[in-house]
Amino acid sequence: MNAIFYKEWIKTRGYLLLAFVTTLGFAGYAMLRLNRVVGLKGAEHLWEVMLARDTVFVEMLEYIPLLAGVLLALVQFVPEMHRKCLKLTLHLPYPQLRMVNLMLCFGLLSLLLCFVANYILMFSYLQAVLATELYARVLLTALPWYLAGFAAYLLISWVCIEPTWKWRVLNLLISVLLLRIFFLSPAPEAYNAFLPWLALYTLLTASLSWLSIARFKAGIQD
Amino acid sequence: MIRFSKLFFCLTIVLILLWQLPWCYAFFAAKPSKIPFTLYSGISGDFISMGQVEGKGMQRRNQSGQVYTQEQTDSLLPFFYVRQLVSDERFPDTIMGVAVTPRKVQQTNFSFRVNASDINAAKVPLYPLMESLSGRVDLIMPEDVFRITANGIEFVRMKSNSVDEGKSRQFTDALIKKDFRFPARRLAGNPTARKDYDEGYLILDDEGKLFHLKQVKSRPYVRAIALPERLNINYLFITEFSDRKTLGFLTDTQNCFYVLNNKSYEVIKTGVASYNPETDGITIFGNLIDWTVCVRTDEAATYYALAANDYSLINSFSLKEEASTIRGLHFTSSDDKFVKPRF
Repeated sequence: MNAIFYKEWIKTRGYLLLAFVTTLGFAGYAMLRLNRVVGLKGAEHLWEVMLARDTVFVEMLEYIPLLAGVLLALVQFVPEMHRKCLKLTLHLPYPQLRMVNLMLCFGLLSLLLCFVANYILMFSYLQAVLATELYARVLLTALPWYLAGFAAYLLISWVCIEPTWKWRVLNLLISVLLLRIFFLSPAPEAYNAFLPWLALYTLLTASLSWLSIARFKAGIQD
Repeated sequence: MIRFSKLFFCLTIVLILLWQLPWCYAFFAAKPSKIPFTLYSGISGDFISMGQVEGKGMQRRNQSGQVYTQEQTDSLLPFFYVRQLVSDERFPDTIMGVAVTPRKVQQTNFSFRVNASDINAAKVPLYPLMESLSGRVDLIMPEDVFRITANGIEFVRMKSNSVDEGKSRQFTDALIKKDFRFPARRLAGNPTARKDYDEGYLILDDEGKLFHLKQVKSRPYVRAIALPERLNINYLFITEFSDRKTLGFLTDTQNCFYVLNNKSYEVIKTGVASYNPETDGITIFGNLIDWTVCVRTDEAATYYALAANDYSLINSFSLKEEASTIRGLHFTSSDDKFVKPRF
């Protein structure tokens, strides 16, 4: 396991550092903008706007986790497919599905680290200026966006691992439609009741990659 | 494991088809709603509907099918078209035996609208309580907001994000003195400075008793409102219309619709047969003589004409609504602001 994680780390460390800094930068910038509103118009204005309108002031973060997930999948799996490294990896004396699961697990843990850092940053600032009800609203509203990051990573990995272009296009279409579910409503806390089910479904999408691996192993190619 | 992933893939395809096919059908075959805008005319004693008719353009007609011109409609609905009648110098001195002036009409006219999606949405349980008697013409937003917990009412200063213990104790004591049981079951207010006056909040306590809370000269004003026997209030709406005649609207667990009069705190059952705020939309256009109430459900739009003095039913009629969506998997709905799967 450590060897696989190390291999993935060597492959993606440059991007992971960039993703960590960029996502944290965007979260930090969103907090700076909030701080600017507090500085210019007072905390009262921030509270009043959040209570009166359907806004949470961090809307700029909406597609950042999605982008981070998509790019991580591309960085991790495109070289594998392009240089045919995956074929070598799957020939190692280790169960193939477990191998793929560990590769995906590495990606998910890296994203988790990135996103948790984002949440810690946002929580640290928001709890100082907003009441519990208000900062919980901000963090809960952003949660489906971050979950979309995990889903995007798993789905785009599935697309990348697929050995034929015909299926790759179909998988991409399915992935786009599934990712659309995470962005159906701009209303704050619209996903609260659906989030546990969405999280479970997101985890299960990891199993789609097994199909592509099975086809890859069977030698199906363009 | 591969069998599971195949099953999961098939399930995903089925769900996507169940979701996207009805959506595509609705997208390409969507038709505009044919429910016309309708108001009750006390002068003609009938509802007048205004809407586009295919091949005929805009038509104004009553329920018997009689077609009116725009000028005739202005005269039949003088409360609604008051500005037009004044501009044409056709505004009458009396309407249905009641002496009127444009100013009086504009002061007593009101509109009220609530959709199911306003009710079925995640809300922040923090409420600004304005000063109702500041002595100033314009209302100003307060520097704190309150929450109602299981033990009392808690005011939080927005600037410092800290609890104002003194004010919280003062208001909690005032509510307890009136036999209020914490926490609150429901709460209705209109926390905006863009209104003529402030009536604070209507609050339903944990035992279903109704209270009126506002802030007068920095002190709590709490009034326990006596409800008729066996009336279980379900939803509350504060009105704050410019004529100050009503304080709020209420619905009970049987979906009956009530008006809560201002000052006398009298609760009067209206002639509206049924209104469920969780599933229906309501629009009310009121004037000095009568109110036109439209309750819109998924199946029909029902119009009620109520007398403005005692809210009794004068007339009603119903228009069937054509189903605009086909069965399938939907994640959003016009009845709420939540995303969740619904078949």
